[in-house]
Amino acid sequence: MSDPLATTVRRAVWADWWTRLSALTVLLMIGLALAADLLVSLEGQSLRPDTSVLGPTGLPAEGPSADHWFGVEPLTGIDLFALVVHGARTSLLIGLAATVVAVLLGLLIGASAGYLGGWWDRIVGWTTDVIFGFPYLIFLIALSAVTPPSVPKPLLLVIVLGFFGWPRIARVVRAQTLTLTQRKFVAAARVMGAGPWHVFRTELLPNLWAPVIVVSTLSIPSMIGLEAALSFLGVGIQPPTASWGRTISTAIDYVEVDPLYLIFPGAALFLVTLGFNVVGDSVRDAIDPRSAGRI
Amino acid sequence: MRLLRFAAVRLAGMLLVLLVVTLISYLVFFLLPADPARLACGRPCSPEGLANARLFMGVDVPWYQQFWNFLYGIVAGRTFGTGAAAITCAAPCLGYSFQDNVDVLTLIGERVEVSFSVAIGAAVLWLIIGVGLGVLSALKRGSAVDRITMAGAIAGVSMPAYLAGILGITVFAFWLDVVPKGGYTPIAENPLDWAWHLVLPWFVLAFLHAALYARLTRGQMLETLGEDYIRTARAKGLPEKKVIGKHALRNVLLPVITLLGIDLGSLLAGTVITERIFGMAGVGKLLVDATAQLNLPVLLGVTLFSAFLITFANFLVDLCYGALDPRARLL
Amino acid sequence: MKSKATAVLAITMVLAGCGANSGSTGGDVAKGGDLRLLDDKTTYQADPAKSQSLVVTGLSLIHRRLTSWDVAPGKTTTIVPDLATDTGKASDGGKTWTFTLKDDQKYNDGTVIKSADIKWGLERSYSPTFATGLAYHKDLLDASNAYKGPFEGTELSSIETPDDKTIVFKLTRPYGDFNWVASTPAFAPVPKGKGTEANYGEKPLASGPYQIDSYKRGVEAKLTRNPNWDAASDPSRKAYPDTITYVLGQQTGVISKRLIDDSGDDKNAFGTSFASPAQLAQIQRNENAKKRLVTSKGGALAYLALNTERGKLADPKVRKAFQYAVDKASYQVASAGGAELAGDVATTLITPGIQGRDQFDLYKAPAAGDPEKAKQLLKEAGAENLELTLVTRSEQGYPEKAQSIQAGLARAGIKVTLKTLEEEAYYAETINAANPTFDLDLTSWQPDIPSANGNIQPLFQSSEIGGGRYNSSRYRNPEVDRLITEAQSTVDPVEAGKKWAAVDKRILEDSPVVPLIYTRNSFLHGSKVGNVVIGDYPSYVDYRVFGLTK
Repeated sequence: MSDPLATTVRRAVWADWWTRLSALTVLLMIGLALAADLLVSLEGQSLRPDTSVLGPTGLPAEGPSADHWFGVEPLTGIDLFALVVHGARTSLLIGLAATVVAVLLGLLIGASAGYLGGWWDRIVGWTTDVIFGFPYLIFLIALSAVTPPSVPKPLLLVIVLGFFGWPRIARVVRAQTLTLTQRKFVAAARVMGAGPWHVFRTELLPNLWAPVIVVSTLSIPSMIGLEAALSFLGVGIQPPTASWGRTISTAIDYVEVDPLYLIFPGAALFLVTLGFNVVGDSVRDAIDPRSAGRI
Repeated sequence: MRLLRFAAVRLAGMLLVLLVVTLISYLVFFLLPADPARLACGRPCSPEGLANARLFMGVDVPWYQQFWNFLYGIVAGRTFGTGAAAITCAAPCLGYSFQDNVDVLTLIGERVEVSFSVAIGAAVLWLIIGVGLGVLSALKRGSAVDRITMAGAIAGVSMPAYLAGILGITVFAFWLDVVPKGGYTPIAENPLDWAWHLVLPWFVLAFLHAALYARLTRGQMLETLGEDYIRTARAKGLPEKKVIGKHALRNVLLPVITLLGIDLGSLLAGTVITERIFGMAGVGKLLVDATAQLNLPVLLGVTLFSAFLITFANFLVDLCYGALDPRARLL
Repeated sequence: MKSKATAVLAITMVLAGCGANSGSTGGDVAKGGDLRLLDDKTTYQADPAKSQSLVVTGLSLIHRRLTSWDVAPGKTTTIVPDLATDTGKASDGGKTWTFTLKDDQKYNDGTVIKSADIKWGLERSYSPTFATGLAYHKDLLDASNAYKGPFEGTELSSIETPDDKTIVFKLTRPYGDFNWVASTPAFAPVPKGKGTEANYGEKPLASGPYQIDSYKRGVEAKLTRNPNWDAASDPSRKAYPDTITYVLGQQTGVISKRLIDDSGDDKNAFGTSFASPAQLAQIQRNENAKKRLVTSKGGALAYLALNTERGKLADPKVRKAFQYAVDKASYQVASAGGAELAGDVATTLITPGIQGRDQFDLYKAPAAGDPEKAKQLLKEAGAENLELTLVTRSEQGYPEKAQSIQAGLARAGIKVTLKTLEEEAYYAETINAANPTFDLDLTSWQPDIPSANGNIQPLFQSSEIGGGRYNSSRYRNPEVDRLITEAQSTVDPVEAGKKWAAVDKRILEDSPVVPLIYTRNSFLHGSKVGNVVIGDYPSYVDYRVFGLTK
């Protein structure tokens, strides 16, 4: 990454109090996710069920307290704070990993399609059409039912979300590559007999960073949202691995008798997606001012 | 004429995409670790009963043959079983749901009303609100309206549909008790009741999407307003209303239609989450139920149906583009 | 120690006294009105061959069978005649069963019900088009499993109809419970030659008190009175409401909220699915709704199956440690918030309300288990640091229940990894697969007939392993197989009951499963629904006696 670009990004993130606050929220969530085990042991709790903290109908005997910062989960008595911070870990891990997969695939496929053109470009374009035409949520629901249980769900989610995510990135990268290829320095390198890989690495890649950063920052929150949606529908992360989507899905049934159960994971999910979106938006405005106001 | 040829080419491409989607779905479903014949075997089940059920359902042959039978069924219809109790599924047969005693197409057809009611109603609402707010923000750049709309846009994108939905239900149905707590009334039965049950889902979905359209409209509007021909129009002394309404909006419409095509296609295809939250039995519910019971024909049928809607929506968008924008390069 | 035990007992009794409406709720009922059944399913059908419905639920509104059940709270469920004059006569040591139809029984269209119709209905259940129902009769009437139904032009030779009233079953082996089997759905009459269409169940000829007047998939099914139903010959069906409306495609959460609200038509409504733990918690807070919640006294046996073919689990000594390691008290909380709504701790395989049941406990321990004893047993067996996979379903609260089992076993040093699967994928792994890779299976079983046979045979006979059958602990014991066959061929119910109780004990000595609780079911109904009764078995409301109050 070239230095001016890094400076632009840094400036964009720190542009105003609103973006700054969002960036801090994101950092806070990342911190929670990284230090989940530490924080939970600091609280003196774990992800283990404990029915002794429940009342006679299986609801929490009491609300948030010094022992349980966010209260506990109905029926199991699992500490809600532990669920939320471990859920942050799951969400961020899957969101980031899926974005990395999507960006890598999108970068390679998009750049090669734009640079090489011809039949490869046509195949890529067509595959993109097929993937866009796929009702991916439906497909994911079916796919989670079909994969053998020996495949870990987080890994499956990363692969699948990444796979469905690349075409969007490839489109942007391809368009950018097409413009770059017509410029003199790329043409010059080509004439001098540089191989495609060399051109890609030395001439194209440095100029592709800007659009890639923009799409990937905006892709992280959508990946997080998708993971939560799938877990919400019961086809994503399985217990006992914590997941915001799954907790929210159970909590919805309790919204009238135990609203806190919904509020904590719900707020966490909303804040982290909002944070990423605001930061991503600001970065885009800084890198590509012409696109201001578009999504 | 050019438009016709363009449409024909796109239509052919669409069919090809659908074929590939079907094939991939079929392969995925075929890899299922479960036996669709188990439910057709009764309790207790015998190995012979299971074999009979497989034969009857047509899942006793290799996958490529099953796939061929499926494709063939779309064109020529299918028959399951033999003798007087055989089941015929007339063309176009997308499969037969043995659990519901009906062919998949009919089943989807019965559910479509619910999903379409939700999606189309919400889309109309968010278009009106979104484009309206967008134009307003663009004209009053930097004002409170502008800022609130733009902040709302990001909040709307960041809010998962189910959270917004449950929030809406809790506040409006339970605390304030001004809308129903869920369920659906067919429009033919009682149009007023129909709309009454849909008000909340419409507004929730509109809230999630409208801001996005407002943002898009605003951006496009600002760009257009800066262009020469608008300046010329203004300079010529055309009234502002006419400048905005006739010249600027027309340009703004193109990207809005593109986005609408994508959103509507995927929304129609699966209002899975909305249906779950608001307790409505549409195509989304059909899919979720079919997943749990591994009702393969229904799963496949819904997948194909959704893919069709998405590609068809894209096709319509392209067509609109061709019609609205004479500069658009037609393939 | 003793005083502590008494205190615990006293607390349990207080709890039982203050909460659940066990057995029955609702006021006195009168004839008439429209009863509304709120159902989450979108499809309704009443095809006897395709049905797995118990005698007390929906199908009985439309169809009569040869025999029926007498069900009441506090009473062991017994067999009574339905369309037949008696509960069947066994001869030839239980190999031949003869039933005679009551006089002048008619379908709703006025035609007389003949013995050949019962035979036709049974033959129909062998056709792959209709083969989704209860099938306990199938191998008893066709040992080779080769018969494929009457639509190919062949008859089932094991059923004889010497005249229009008499029907004789020549079984492939002696079977004492055949009169119970004769209460399953396929023993309802279907006019000979009718019922060829796959959707026959949407407009079948009715022999019960109601007929299907109209049906719209996903919307509703309307049941009206069958003008030709002979009330005098049918004491078990009260048929109070004039019409019954199935309101279809309602999500369970919505049903629960409507019933709690209890306004308008919903006062006449009954929710057909169990109240979930979240709904129960909500109902408990609402005095008005609480009165309208009816809870069964017992029910399906929830159990943890130990795959006896996997590693150290092949050793009965290791398996016995699990009896002490599980925490049944936490399981109760995870199931329904507390013991009172979840059900009593289970120690036997035969469930309450079943004839011959003997209450015993081979592995005495507190409800929360005895992890120290489990540890010691595992140490003796040389099976410390076990690492196992537990498979269960991803719906119906099973993930939460599985977590409570996981935590319980962890206390004894058993490390469990959970694997939750969608319904059919779960069945594929646990009961279809030839060589499954799970170690533990958390599930439950409700017998289809009120005989201990229904509790034991499907789960523990070695012939029931794999291929869609339910012996998921893959338990094989030639002695138990022999005892099961012996008990099955015993005609005298009292003697058979004793034999089944002995089999129960014999199996648990090998510890292939850990009984957890006798799962209670709770149902919610509107304020105008009366006679809402759940007998000791089955743990479902008796649809036959429902009515509306004035």
